[in-house]
Amino acid sequence: MFSRLLSRLGLFAAPLFALVAAGCSKADLTVRQSTLDPKGPVAQMQYDVFMDTVWLVVVLFVLVGGLLVYAVVRFRSRPGETAAPIVEEGHGNPLVEIGLITASIGALVFIAVPTLSAIWYTDDVPAESVPKSKLSAWYGQPLDKAVAEQVLEIDVIGKQWWFRFEYPQLGLTNDAKHSVPNEMVIPKGVAVRINLRSEDVIHSFWIPKIAGKVDLMPGRKNRMWIQADQVGHYYGQCAEFCGDSHAYMLFRVEVLEPADFAKWVAAQKADAAPVAAGSKAEQGKNLFAAKSCVMCHNVGGHFGAGAFGPDLTHLASRKSLAGAWLDNRDPKAQRALEQTSPLGTEASVPVDRATFKANLIKWIGSSGIAAGADGQPTKDVKPGNRMHYYKMFNVAGLRETHQKLTADELDALAEYLLTLK
Amino acid sequence: MSQDAAHHAPTSTGIDHKKLIMWLFLASDCMFFGTLISTHLLYRKLYPTGFTDAEGHQQFVQKLFNIELTSFSTFILLMSSFLMALAVSAMHKGQLKSFRRNVVGVIFFGLIFLGCQVYEFTHFYHQGLTIQNSVLGSTFYVLTGTHGTHVAIGILWLVMLYFYSFTGKLGGHVGALDVEVAGLYWHFVDIVWIIIFTAVYLVEYLGPSGIWGNGLPVLAK
Amino acid sequence: MSHDAHHAPVASKLELAPERSDLGLYRPDRTRGLLDWLTTVDHKKIGVLYGAFAMLYFLIGGLEALAIRTQLARPDQTFVTARMYNQLFTMHGTTMIFLGVMPLSAAFFNFLVPLQIGARDVAFPRLNAFSLWAFVFGAFVLNASWLFEFGHLAGWFDGFAWHQALTYTDFAPANGWFSYAPLSGTFGQANAALQAPRFTGVGTDFWIIGIQILGVASLAASFNFICTIINMRAKGMTMMRLPVFTWMTLVTSFLIILAFPAITVALIELMFDRQFGANFFNPSAGGQPVLWQHLFWIFGHPEVYILVLPAMGIVSEILPTFSGKALFGYPIIVFSGAVIGFLGFAVWSHHMFTTGLGPVPTAAFALLTMAIAVPTGVKIFNWLGTIWGGRIRFTPPMVLALGFIWMFMCGGFSGVMHSAAPADSQQQDSYFVIAHFHYVLLGGVLLGLMAGLYFWFPKIFGRMPNATVAYVASGLVILGFNLAFGPMHYLGLAGQPRRTHTYHAGNGWEDWNFVATVGAFILGIGVFMAFANLVYTAFKGPKCSSDPWDGRTLEWSLPSPVPEYNFAQSPVVSARDAFTEHKHGTKRIAYEADGGEAGVHMPSQSWMPMLAAGGFLFIGFGMPMMAMGIPHAGWIVVSGVAVLFAGIWFWALEGPGGYMLKTPAVSPTPAGTPAASTSAH
Repeated sequence: MFSRLLSRLGLFAAPLFALVAAGCSKADLTVRQSTLDPKGPVAQMQYDVFMDTVWLVVVLFVLVGGLLVYAVVRFRSRPGETAAPIVEEGHGNPLVEIGLITASIGALVFIAVPTLSAIWYTDDVPAESVPKSKLSAWYGQPLDKAVAEQVLEIDVIGKQWWFRFEYPQLGLTNDAKHSVPNEMVIPKGVAVRINLRSEDVIHSFWIPKIAGKVDLMPGRKNRMWIQADQVGHYYGQCAEFCGDSHAYMLFRVEVLEPADFAKWVAAQKADAAPVAAGSKAEQGKNLFAAKSCVMCHNVGGHFGAGAFGPDLTHLASRKSLAGAWLDNRDPKAQRALEQTSPLGTEASVPVDRATFKANLIKWIGSSGIAAGADGQPTKDVKPGNRMHYYKMFNVAGLRETHQKLTADELDALAEYLLTLK
Repeated sequence: MSQDAAHHAPTSTGIDHKKLIMWLFLASDCMFFGTLISTHLLYRKLYPTGFTDAEGHQQFVQKLFNIELTSFSTFILLMSSFLMALAVSAMHKGQLKSFRRNVVGVIFFGLIFLGCQVYEFTHFYHQGLTIQNSVLGSTFYVLTGTHGTHVAIGILWLVMLYFYSFTGKLGGHVGALDVEVAGLYWHFVDIVWIIIFTAVYLVEYLGPSGIWGNGLPVLAK
Repeated sequence: MSHDAHHAPVASKLELAPERSDLGLYRPDRTRGLLDWLTTVDHKKIGVLYGAFAMLYFLIGGLEALAIRTQLARPDQTFVTARMYNQLFTMHGTTMIFLGVMPLSAAFFNFLVPLQIGARDVAFPRLNAFSLWAFVFGAFVLNASWLFEFGHLAGWFDGFAWHQALTYTDFAPANGWFSYAPLSGTFGQANAALQAPRFTGVGTDFWIIGIQILGVASLAASFNFICTIINMRAKGMTMMRLPVFTWMTLVTSFLIILAFPAITVALIELMFDRQFGANFFNPSAGGQPVLWQHLFWIFGHPEVYILVLPAMGIVSEILPTFSGKALFGYPIIVFSGAVIGFLGFAVWSHHMFTTGLGPVPTAAFALLTMAIAVPTGVKIFNWLGTIWGGRIRFTPPMVLALGFIWMFMCGGFSGVMHSAAPADSQQQDSYFVIAHFHYVLLGGVLLGLMAGLYFWFPKIFGRMPNATVAYVASGLVILGFNLAFGPMHYLGLAGQPRRTHTYHAGNGWEDWNFVATVGAFILGIGVFMAFANLVYTAFKGPKCSSDPWDGRTLEWSLPSPVPEYNFAQSPVVSARDAFTEHKHGTKRIAYEADGGEAGVHMPSQSWMPMLAAGGFLFIGFGMPMMAMGIPHAGWIVVSGVAVLFAGIWFWALEGPGGYMLKTPAVSPTPAGTPAASTSAH
């Protein structure tokens, strides 16, 4: 009976094991959002605690699982055996029980200690990291004295379905018309404090290779700290269910050398260059105003009214679009690089203009206010996004009166946006 | 209210099914009110400044409450519990008339309590506290309103028992038990009110600005 | 006194004379067929109904799961829309927890508890029927949201003014089973109609009222079971002689009555936010969304044990039976069950490690969570101790029970990993969590419940399920399950967040998602086969003896199917595992001199529990229709409350009724006693 069962189970189990064995070789531990490939002290600490639990569990698994298998095999009833059940009340064995309970508690202490130390370590920038991380230690530009003694702080504001990044110490804020949407930039090797806010529902900020997640709670101020020790392009994603397009709420983190970071900050503060008169881009710029884009979007130097939507002043320099869902780089080149580069997923190819333009047309064309090249609204890139649900803002009727974009207008708009380096 | 249990042989514990299930319900109801009261207290601690009155000024909750009236209605509810105890005792002795007299008293006092609550709600509403305009309004009305609903259900139950007593079917051990179970419920609702009265009303009077606030205006949320 | 039980005893309820209740209405005692099932107060029939509905919803929830997996099989799929996906996972979670596992556990509670403690019914038979119908109607309300959703997608409502006025048009809930505010709640100032802006449509209102109704059903049932277990034990059935399944029922019921009030209040507060513009969770008015999470998980974590403990109880019955050996360390198993239940109230915030609790609470909840691993481990050790030195007979229930231990152990291990809060901040809301709780709830609980179904099915219907089909189905379930959820450990660690309806190629998630989908379909086929086997058996299966497994507890001493009076004479117990002692040991089950020609008292059937519960149907449809803005929908709610109160009023006034049923003559030998041991006395 049992052997028949065993062979039957084996029949099922064999392909399973084959699959697992085949899979393990493929299971790349350094994929884009891998938590097993830490690139900073916070993720490293979290990884170390995780590995502690893994080792504990492996040992327990072998012990308990082994005993279970042994018991099932050893104490199976043999064919022809007809003895009556053993009749005795199961009192157990106090010595065994207490021994096992004590052992379990001991095993848990093994993970409790690193857990506790990691909880405090990951809570805020540790004192030993502050001296080398304060702005005066690495940031070249002249700074306010009080600010210079602080570590860099970045405000992360979550909205359905994109992130806005602000650097209040460096003057990059939404109020100052210099906020940074969807692609956060941080300097390498120094601690950064992240302040998390939400303007609508709960979101969660997660860059697996740099730090575990902390939620953005509306009506509450959360905080975390991060540090990346390797230059590169990192992938992050909202990790708390936040409505229709939750899956499309991605973001990127660009880690730069401190000197490059300072240059980037200076560039962010610059306004957009004027567009050439009589160009297609100028036509697009006029459309940008006429079709109400300007109501939500800020373009430094061109339009300053918008504060609700992502700041577009430096749109054309960004590697992604639509909450980082659409990639503006050449996807093939990027995949090829990731497979060959020693840096793996942290390496990045530059923006590809053709891809970018196609993305822009797809994105704007799908937002309910414009038609695609064939005159029909394209499929939603991000269902429920605010460009679509314009009636949220009491500007009802815009769709019927002003919001039809022809394919040609869409093209002009994209040309204009691509000038915003 | 089910009388299914009446026929069964003596129970394993000697406690009647109906009494036991009422105790279990009350245990659950403790958690229910505990959650509501916690919600209220947590928000009081978080936003200690009170409420915005009809003129748009920040006000202490003390200004809103009419502690004399609430103390009176609390006293009335306590007295109703006393009458309820008399009604239960009358029922145990088989004195149906005395039971009816006392139960009418309980119902009457319960109605006075509800009347005070209705008056209080309207008064607060006109003073500017609504369920929509502040967290305090939400927690206060839902907490005390839920308690009021409990009182109203208790009154309905007692009214039913009162009329039932005229059918001649309310009597003996089973009848006394039915009344006793209703009494347990009534006493519980009273005790909960004592806690609400303390946690929601009285603590606002500890010190000049209540237990939560230490001066106005702290926060104009 | 309102007893109507003075009639002469009858041999069958069909022989009863027509009889009016105190209300003057005929009692439905003499019904048969459908009317009998609708008015029944027999705990066994109620148990079967719970089981049938639970299996139906398991299949519906399973189909939802397969739709989810189909969407995720390949990157950038468009099998369903983003919103439909969100609705699918919301309803999948809600259905499996509240309409699948809980009612299936309730089916076992209902059928087994009175039999195991030697009682003839539960303490409040009509309340029991009320619980059943409240569950049925609540489940219907919840799932009716799909009908509205499909009607909306098909454009049936397009012509109506109320439909055109809706900003959000999700009719099936898309808020997740956890329903975090403010996504499920409001944001901003309420308008004159007391409606504040929100993020989700009436689907959430369906969800709120549906869960509220199901909560009433669970609470009423739990009061009843605690009362039954504490108060209706046969003579000699001390608390420490209770079968472990009954013990776990008791602990579970206590968890329900203490945990459900938190969600009830949270739902009331959320409902006030949505329907009346209150500010409990409205951040723009000072409400704290984190409060919703606390209230939800103060309920939600005990809920996990509400789901798991009954399965643990089932396994604790099956392992001794097929090991031919008493449960190892009975007192410790019972005690650890109670400790798990108690500690279950002290670990809720481990679901909230990423919400910014601060280091001290995080540390405290991390340590408490680790602590709960100890009693859980104790159970596994004791199950091991039970089979150790026994003689293990392999039968479908035993194989499933062993599978339960294995899968539950794996789920427990990943649970220990979550307790380390810093590691959890990487795993929270990733596929790793999905893998973890499916190992616990599917590999653990579902296998346990399936083991229970195969174990007690012969008792319930007197027919034996086909063992070969059962083995194949179990094999498919275990294989498919591991194939579906094993890879999710990797996916989570590779950074795939849960509740996302699609993902790009290039993240390294493609292959394992495909494997998981294949596994899910194998699992689906396995579960369907197992259920089909059972349904077939219920009607057509081969008859079997009343004690086919050499059972250990009182229910096996009864004929199969169990007669409506359960025990012809009330048993008097003198040992734990009373029936094993009776058959193989020295301590016999004695019987009281009741029943026989004098008959035993049977409760009357009644329409009132269903009528009262029917009020919930009106309330359940009325509240969401109010939220839709359908004119006069408020009156549906009002009439629902009226029906509910009228039902309870009539119920109270109709009198309990009851009649005397003759049972077979006094006999010291319980049915099913093996011939070998009958000769001994």
